[in-house]
Amino acid sequence: MPSRNGSVYGLTLLCPILNDPAAVPSHDLQIRDHLATLSRGADSMFALAPGTHLARLVVLDDVVYVGAPACEEHLKSKYLVFESNCDGDRDSYLTGLAKAIPGELDTIWKHCAGYPPGGANDLARFLAYMKKCEIETTFFFAPVNNKTVTETLVALRNKHAIAHFIAQHQGVKPAQVRASILALRDKLNAAPDPKPAAVHVERTMDTGGRNE
Amino acid sequence: MSNINGKVYAMNAVTPMKPWKTWILRVLFWVLGAVKPLQSDLINLKFIQFARWVIVPAGGFPYLGGAQKRESLRYDYLFFFSNFNGTWNQYIDAFSAVLSDGLNMIWRWSEKFPGSVPVTAFKSYIASVQYDTDYYFTAYPQATLNDVEAAHLVNQAFGSLCQDAADQTEEQFSHAYLQFVIACQSHLGSTGAAPMVF
Repeated sequence: MPSRNGSVYGLTLLCPILNDPAAVPSHDLQIRDHLATLSRGADSMFALAPGTHLARLVVLDDVVYVGAPACEEHLKSKYLVFESNCDGDRDSYLTGLAKAIPGELDTIWKHCAGYPPGGANDLARFLAYMKKCEIETTFFFAPVNNKTVTETLVALRNKHAIAHFIAQHQGVKPAQVRASILALRDKLNAAPDPKPAAVHVERTMDTGGRNE
Repeated sequence: MSNINGKVYAMNAVTPMKPWKTWILRVLFWVLGAVKPLQSDLINLKFIQFARWVIVPAGGFPYLGGAQKRESLRYDYLFFFSNFNGTWNQYIDAFSAVLSDGLNMIWRWSEKFPGSVPVTAFKSYIASVQYDTDYYFTAYPQATLNDVEAAHLVNQAFGSLCQDAADQTEEQFSHAYLQFVIACQSHLGSTGAAPMVF
């Protein structure tokens, strides 16, 4: 199945946005305004729900006219694009989102045509709606395709601890190293799983423009 | 709104294709998926965490009924979503320098694609068909692909070392630990700071 690469699923949704001339601001602007306010840290919606490695939301206004001799054409609707690289499959992943962050999903998707009135709490209709909006991935590239989000976060945390251990135990007798490394293993195994997006990365610029 | 989160950049590009060309591209993607060595250059660049190409046929835009108007389009559309490390310029430059044949194979079917070499025209084209990301999430913003791969390698080696350690003689463990450190030594660097743009 091209939407899957190993244990990672590439979910792509195109959700038509409501086109209501009476809505002020328009629904696409309301989505944009709301997305601009959202956290991306450990308290963010995709951190609170399970299984998201990387995900994005894009408001697609229209297709691009690339110039003659190509023909100019336009979309009749704007679309909310949801691209997620996640654990599990479409239904298990979306079920996880619906159970963990139903309000957050509804706040965004209520601006989309055909979104069920019961929102994410009406699980069957929510999944059916998302299935209708899904576009099958044609080619999905994932160089690390066999680790879950939790496994990756644990590995990143453990690597840091192991590097520190190796540095601190240079020249130490093997018997002591063995005792200490087994204690480290037990400590790491007992530690709670790291939370997604918990590490903040300092950037002085965060514009992400095309020349950055 | 930002295309960047931590060390990862989210690129979105949408290009039109004449429908008769789409099937050629589908076959090419199938071959790329089936013949893994063809992906080696892409894998060895080691800066793409996830990427996908999605062909949306002219009649394939979801139609949910009600007041929504059904699309009536001449072209199929190739959506490209990439999650890569480094800057936009580094990414396009690397693709142009290392993967020009592969890029041409994929995008030559899109209207007005100028080719991936020379890079200036290629960058202009990509900039014209690129859409900005309105919300971008990553579970590990501090980690590049190299960081993730290194973490799994070190963690796996650590697990193997510990699994056997209790039953080994001191000499055996000493040897095993040395081999463990040698295997991991290139992968122990901290995740470090995000790239700076001046």
